[in-house]
Amino acid sequence: MTRILLRNKLDDCIAAWRSAGFSVLAPVKRHEMSSFGEVQKSSDMALDLVLTERTIKDQFFPQTEPLIKYKIGKHQIDSETMTPPEQKRVFFGVRPCDASGLAIDDPLFGWDYKDDYWFRRRDNSVIVTIACAQADDFCMCTSVKLSPDSAKGADVLLRPLLEGSGWQIEVLSERGKALLEIVSSLLLEGNGHTFPLPQVAEKFDVEKVMEWLADPASFESQFWKDIALRCVGCGSCTFLCPTCHCFDIQDEGDTYQGIRRKNWDSCSFANFTMHTSGHNPRNTQSTRWRQRIMHKFNYYQGKFGVNSCTGCGRCTRQCPVDMGITETLQAITNLPR
Amino acid sequence: MGIQEQYRSEAAALLSSGEVKLVIGFGAGSTADRRRPLFARTPEEAQKFVLDAACIANLSTYLLAEGLLSDGKKVGVFLKPDGIRSVNILISEAQLKPEQVVILGYAIENGKDVAALEGRNISDFSIGEKIRNLTPPPHVIEAAEKIEAMSAEERFEYWKEEFSKCIKCYACRQVCPMCYCRRCIVDVNQPQWVSTSSHTLGNFEWNLVRAFHLAGRCASCGACDRACPVNIPLRLVNYRMGKEVRSAFDYVAGENSDQKPVLASFKQDDPETFIL
Ligand code: SF4
Ligand code: SF4
Ligand code: SF4
Ligand code: SF4
Repeated sequence: MTRILLRNKLDDCIAAWRSAGFSVLAPVKRHEMSSFGEVQKSSDMALDLVLTERTIKDQFFPQTEPLIKYKIGKHQIDSETMTPPEQKRVFFGVRPCDASGLAIDDPLFGWDYKDDYWFRRRDNSVIVTIACAQADDFCMCTSVKLSPDSAKGADVLLRPLLEGSGWQIEVLSERGKALLEIVSSLLLEGNGHTFPLPQVAEKFDVEKVMEWLADPASFESQFWKDIALRCVGCGSCTFLCPTCHCFDIQDEGDTYQGIRRKNWDSCSFANFTMHTSGHNPRNTQSTRWRQRIMHKFNYYQGKFGVNSCTGCGRCTRQCPVDMGITETLQAITNLPR
Repeated sequence: MGIQEQYRSEAAALLSSGEVKLVIGFGAGSTADRRRPLFARTPEEAQKFVLDAACIANLSTYLLAEGLLSDGKKVGVFLKPDGIRSVNILISEAQLKPEQVVILGYAIENGKDVAALEGRNISDFSIGEKIRNLTPPPHVIEAAEKIEAMSAEERFEYWKEEFSKCIKCYACRQVCPMCYCRRCIVDVNQPQWVSTSSHTLGNFEWNLVRAFHLAGRCASCGACDRACPVNIPLRLVNYRMGKEVRSAFDYVAGENSDQKPVLASFKQDDPETFIL
């Protein structure tokens, strides 16, 4: 017997989680922008969005993060490590693609060095995914072998009930189980009719893409120059991507004291690879664009056995020149072989 | 023959005669209502051009793409009046030579009809009067007036909220035809003049630097505003800066290509004793 969370019990759940010490974060729309933000009640949530403009990644890997405070004295250097808060958090209403993004980035942040800033937040967060009831023209989870009800990265998966009255619950982890225990008296036993999943057409053949990218001859292909012609080299597609994870370390302050920060960086920027000498090995937009695609569908795969893309479609949805990865991967799929 | 077909064949003729090496126009986009920049180097490619009321981007931003005009060969470009306006500004700022661009001009009327604009060279288009009389849409003026009516503290709070959304993706800069610096001041990092951190202070620094650098130079094309992925109302910044420059100097950017850039020129009989 599965259990059901009724929409009209959501406020009570939020209250119960909050009194158990959790912050509750959900999709919100504030100041003309949708993102994950803290909520007090269900009416603060924007659960009907296909996807928030900003990703859930921001809540684990913020755009700027203080690491160390330092002071350089005459005979010594004082420093203080700044660690992220250990606040317990529930993320309610995460889309399957965004939750997958967290799981995709876990091995990266835990690879040769365990990034405390990422894992402290990960370990204190419970991800409640809601399967999609709608998709738009840019969604492409199915092209990267995920789906509108993918459970990857989630602790609990909710499926919307047909009549809109609530969600059917699937518990996926111990953390998810513990979260639901807090609200067990508010849940119903039963099976409802769940909303049919939206049809998300496959836009490209990821196997073909990976094969072409893995061919050393593809690296210098004219293809990159042609496809990247209109890319203006902003950081929009990387910064809105749920898996892009590159950062830069910057010291902010004066000669004697300051704060060392970890700031988002983007392979779309010329400065990303600029050497101190002024030489830039990726000195054209096409070489930068190639890097973005190669990293996601070749290098990351080689290192961690998974592609660094959830198919969320944000890179195409908000690209100022209607680019993003979709067109490139379609074009690679259709290359004569 | 509709304007789309007319311009396709004109672009094809420009390419086949060798008058231009490239034509920058629009092609079909990833959804039915989207158009994307399309670069045609052959008459065949020119047949893919689309020209309709959805072609709103300002393509002049590509004219200063690194290396594009360095061989001295001309390029053709589809421009509506705001694009022509930005070409005027680029010429007046000595970034372009008038003979480098062949303009396929068009105007979108009533948001749906597309009309051809007469002329091919920048000097053929007299847009000055039109630009002087240009008023932004009522909702922009309304929003701007609301902000002007605020107290300094309220206004600061308003922009703090808005700028705190900024993620420093620099999409606004990258799409802006006037942001052509090969190395933007925020990218100068030896030393790092402007913090790269996207916290509220850093975002203020960035957005204010950009607003100041665009004062008296903005073509009001709206590209930055549309590009911003977090929906910061950059149009309000541009509008206010334009208004400021107009009231101080009676200057409207891009009226023609002979204008002297207002903040980069001085008069000997200037009443001010101090020049910034
Ligand atoms: S693909 Fe689009 S969003 Fe990404 S860098 Fe290029 S122009 Fe910017
Ligand atoms: S590459 Fe594009 S589609 Fe893939 S996860 Fe990033 S933003 Fe989403
Ligand atoms: S500042 Fe914005 S509106 Fe003005 S010219 Fe640049 S992109 Fe266009
Ligand atoms: S486009 Fe928007 S988010 Fe990006 S840098 Fe400009 S103001 Fe900031």
